[in-house]
Amino acid sequence: MHDTIEARGAGAASPARTPRSPSIGRRILRALAPLPWIGPAIILIAAVVLWPVIEMAWTSLLKVSSSGKTLGFNGTRNYHDLFAETGLVSVLLRTVVWVVGVVLVTIVVSLALGQLLNARFPGRRVVRWAVIVPWAASVLMTALTWNWMLNYSYGVVNKILQGVGLIDHPVNWLAHPTQALIWMMWVAVFVSLPFTSFVILAGLQTVPQEVYEAARVDGAGRARTYFRITLPLLRPALLVAAIINVINVFNSFPIIWAMTKGGPGTKTDTSTTFMYKLAFVGSGSVGESAAMAVVNFVLILVLVLLYLRAVGWRGEAQP
Amino acid sequence: MTERSEGTEDAAPVVTPSDEGGSLTERSEGAGDTAPVVTPSDEGGATTVQSTRPRSARRGGPGRAKPGGRSGSVGRGKRAILAGVGYLVAFIFVAPYLEMLLTALKPDRELTASPTTFLPKHWNFGNFVDVWKAAPIWTNMQVSLTVAGAATLIALLVALPAAYYTARNRFWLRTPFLLLVLITQMFAPTALVVGIYREMVSLNLTDTLLGLILVNAAFNLPFCVWILHGYFSSIPKALEEAAYLDGAGKVKALTKVTLPLSLPGLVTAVIYTFIGAWNEYVVALTITSSPNRQPLTVAVPSFVTGYQEHWQYLFATSLIAIVPVVILFIVIERYLIGGLTAGSVK
Amino acid sequence: MKRHLTGVIAAGLTVTLGLTGCSKGSSSGDSGDNKTIRFVAAIYDDKTKSLWDSLIKTFEAQNKGYKVNLEMVDWTQMDAKVKTYVQTKQTPDILNYNAFADFARDGLLFPTSDVLSPQVSSDILPSFVEGDKYKGTQYGMPLLSSVRLFFYNKDIFKKAGISAPPKTWDEVKTDAQKIKDKGGKGVFPLGLPLGAEESQAEFFMWAMNNGGGYVDQSGNWAIDSQANVDTLNYLKDLSKSGLTQPNPETTDRKDVFNQFAQGKIGMLNGAVFMPAGFINKVNAKLPYAIAPLPTKAGGTPSTLGVQDFLVAFKNNGGKKKDAVSKFLNFFYQTNNVANFQKEEGFLPVTKSAGDVIGKAVPYDKPFIDALPNAKFYPTGNAAWGPLANTVKEKLGTAITGDPKSVLSELQQTAQKNG
Repeated sequence: MHDTIEARGAGAASPARTPRSPSIGRRILRALAPLPWIGPAIILIAAVVLWPVIEMAWTSLLKVSSSGKTLGFNGTRNYHDLFAETGLVSVLLRTVVWVVGVVLVTIVVSLALGQLLNARFPGRRVVRWAVIVPWAASVLMTALTWNWMLNYSYGVVNKILQGVGLIDHPVNWLAHPTQALIWMMWVAVFVSLPFTSFVILAGLQTVPQEVYEAARVDGAGRARTYFRITLPLLRPALLVAAIINVINVFNSFPIIWAMTKGGPGTKTDTSTTFMYKLAFVGSGSVGESAAMAVVNFVLILVLVLLYLRAVGWRGEAQP
Repeated sequence: MTERSEGTEDAAPVVTPSDEGGSLTERSEGAGDTAPVVTPSDEGGATTVQSTRPRSARRGGPGRAKPGGRSGSVGRGKRAILAGVGYLVAFIFVAPYLEMLLTALKPDRELTASPTTFLPKHWNFGNFVDVWKAAPIWTNMQVSLTVAGAATLIALLVALPAAYYTARNRFWLRTPFLLLVLITQMFAPTALVVGIYREMVSLNLTDTLLGLILVNAAFNLPFCVWILHGYFSSIPKALEEAAYLDGAGKVKALTKVTLPLSLPGLVTAVIYTFIGAWNEYVVALTITSSPNRQPLTVAVPSFVTGYQEHWQYLFATSLIAIVPVVILFIVIERYLIGGLTAGSVK
Repeated sequence: MKRHLTGVIAAGLTVTLGLTGCSKGSSSGDSGDNKTIRFVAAIYDDKTKSLWDSLIKTFEAQNKGYKVNLEMVDWTQMDAKVKTYVQTKQTPDILNYNAFADFARDGLLFPTSDVLSPQVSSDILPSFVEGDKYKGTQYGMPLLSSVRLFFYNKDIFKKAGISAPPKTWDEVKTDAQKIKDKGGKGVFPLGLPLGAEESQAEFFMWAMNNGGGYVDQSGNWAIDSQANVDTLNYLKDLSKSGLTQPNPETTDRKDVFNQFAQGKIGMLNGAVFMPAGFINKVNAKLPYAIAPLPTKAGGTPSTLGVQDFLVAFKNNGGKKKDAVSKFLNFFYQTNNVANFQKEEGFLPVTKSAGDVIGKAVPYDKPFIDALPNAKFYPTGNAAWGPLANTVKEKLGTAITGDPKSVLSELQQTAQKNG
């Protein structure tokens, strides 16, 4: 009832037929009225999403033994240890390359894909279905297939590349850090394309046809129409796609885990796998791992903010 | 909007009400409406309600202008090229899964035979039978289903009222709440795995399905709220009011008007959460240890360990897990685009 | 309306949580039972699981009401799993692993005197007991032991014109060069596994024969010693000269053992269990021979002795002590333990089993003879577990990077952990 009559008046959450009543009791009741609606969401988010954030930040200040026993307060020691890790700088740089590279390539390719999926040709529906597949398939399983296809001795990639004469001998792709990283970035792009191109496709379909007709009447060329009209109109879609991709790609653990486990050493780690390995693989420094997680957290915040700044965000992404 | 590209352009009453008021502009363009699709347009707040026609209406008449392939005058040659490129793209996207299938059909010793062959010499369909005996994958599948299903249910039940209320009301908690949703959307379980497992240890929820369900529900909740909020906001109150004035009750107005109109948004939220939970790996890897409480993502890689590499089983199981989800996706593809439109535009 | 919706949500939540609550309740029922224990065992080869399965079957038949849930874990995944189990408080009741001291330090383990009968305790070979102790108390129970020796393929050596196995590092290099030149197509001269599976062992075997190792005479960490740096430089040079299989830094031990079994590797640091675990499955007639490990300058060769442990975790406040103890005492019965070790091709760890196996398997003799000169890992040091994991993960990078900085990083890890 209340939501049908008023709504613009701030704080008017209580039933509209309630006369303006100054009584404190009623005010409190009115203030509490949203809670049955949004309370469960707040509780769930606070208990399961925010608690770990705090727990993690707190753990980064604790001394935790290799078998998980908390041995007391550690001050900033974990951060000192973390920054003393020899691999850290290159891991962080690699993370930036990983995120920026994968997201950039994904978006550029998706723009083309979106256009293709939006164009009309026989069998388009089937093509759309095919493009959806990597989205529906689990990322981990997709990465495992690529791992198998890139196998040194039995992989089809070596067979195909040898067949077309690009390489003479089989290459142990995943053993060389640079090659492995490039392949993993390709897999990351591969699994990000479906979502991104569908968001762009959805965006393309909100562009009113009249705009194109007007452009055509004005005699604008194809490229000009695209860059002057389509692209700007896709901005909101691109913004969302980019942010979601940055977050997903940054946190992309299964691809690296299924293909190289970040090895040899830390040479193909991103900060996400590095963080995991600090806690669960190497010497088991949970405190240091938590410190890495906090750094990650700041890093992704910075990445997203930088991105929003770069695209001149004005708040469209906010609901 | 979705439909325009599908070739079902003879769509019916297009209602474009403005967000605040109740003025309904009708542009009749044909007949035969079914479930209306609401697509919020970009900046303004103006909303287009347009009918969706069933798929049977494909290829109905000359093509309307396309953003990409301009209009009905597209030459046959150009379409052929587009189709060619399209099929190539389709092949690239499906190829890894094809290789998955071919490997899953190879007998054990052909996997490590050299030289490698593309096709199995002996088509060993038995792998798909044997795999059920080789590992308790039925149990793992039940775990995956339970976790994904329950997480989706919880996320939706919690997100719906919150999204609806914030879309319809202004109140003091609204901005803080939406901000919370927006920010926590950027949190991923992977990044917080250390915090999550320490919480699960203190709650005694390690190695339980409940722990997995809660994590998956909570981390997907913000996205659900976000998408649904965007959707509800785009549905003019006028429609609900109209139903209300027609004598429908409040609940009826919601269930008969608002929810059906937000179907694409609901579908998107459901799919997003379900897929997210179905594919979740790191948290399950960390907080579960009993084989009968591990989802498929954790169970599948264990077919290939140092001393036993059963790639054929690994991929057979992967396909068993992937195929139903792919079919699900294909079925809801049209809603997906509508849902994403709402999410991306708002 | 408001009430209605919230009611529905509340009901929905209750149902879902109730359902999942049930599924938890029913499945955790077994872990609340003090007669059911969870045993995480390592996979040594294809037979390991069936050996444990049949032992457990016999045990369960002899002890009504007791149940052992077996979980087999591969060595390549063991460290991460154990770390995860320990840190997330999901420790099994019995674990088969290669380190224990940090668990003992944190009070997670039963001392062996709590779970082994005096009879079994006194049966354990004294040479192993020292490595089973943390600060004077025994926590580890040796499950099996292994000694490493140098294996070479006689056919490949003949083809390359090498008459005797190399005794010094220089000879290793010249022989490797000969194999590279004449040993046959697709044959790698030296197998050098410095991947994550066992690089701590491979490195130690080369280092100890150069006067290096993990600790110095007085037991202090000496990982960044000059002898160790020289060792890695030597191995790096071998790899660079193309005398090893490609990419030692990502090659696991099982890979080179397999390749050796297939006749694709000329020589390597092998292990006592190689015939049982690898060679006999592929080619029981492989013409191989065994020699002591080569040393830097030809001194007395040392070798690596390894014991893997069983440890018993004090879960649920130690309520399962009785069941754990029953199973362990059952396993250490002479025939059970002897059969297990014989089938797996490992060396015995108890006197009585040694008596049984020693007569039965002549192949073991050179390994048993090498035991007096064997060096063991510093397993009694609480830093060893974390250090070993870090070594496995990082040591290989020295092959492509700077040995000195890799070793000094490892030294820091060791010092940080104890």
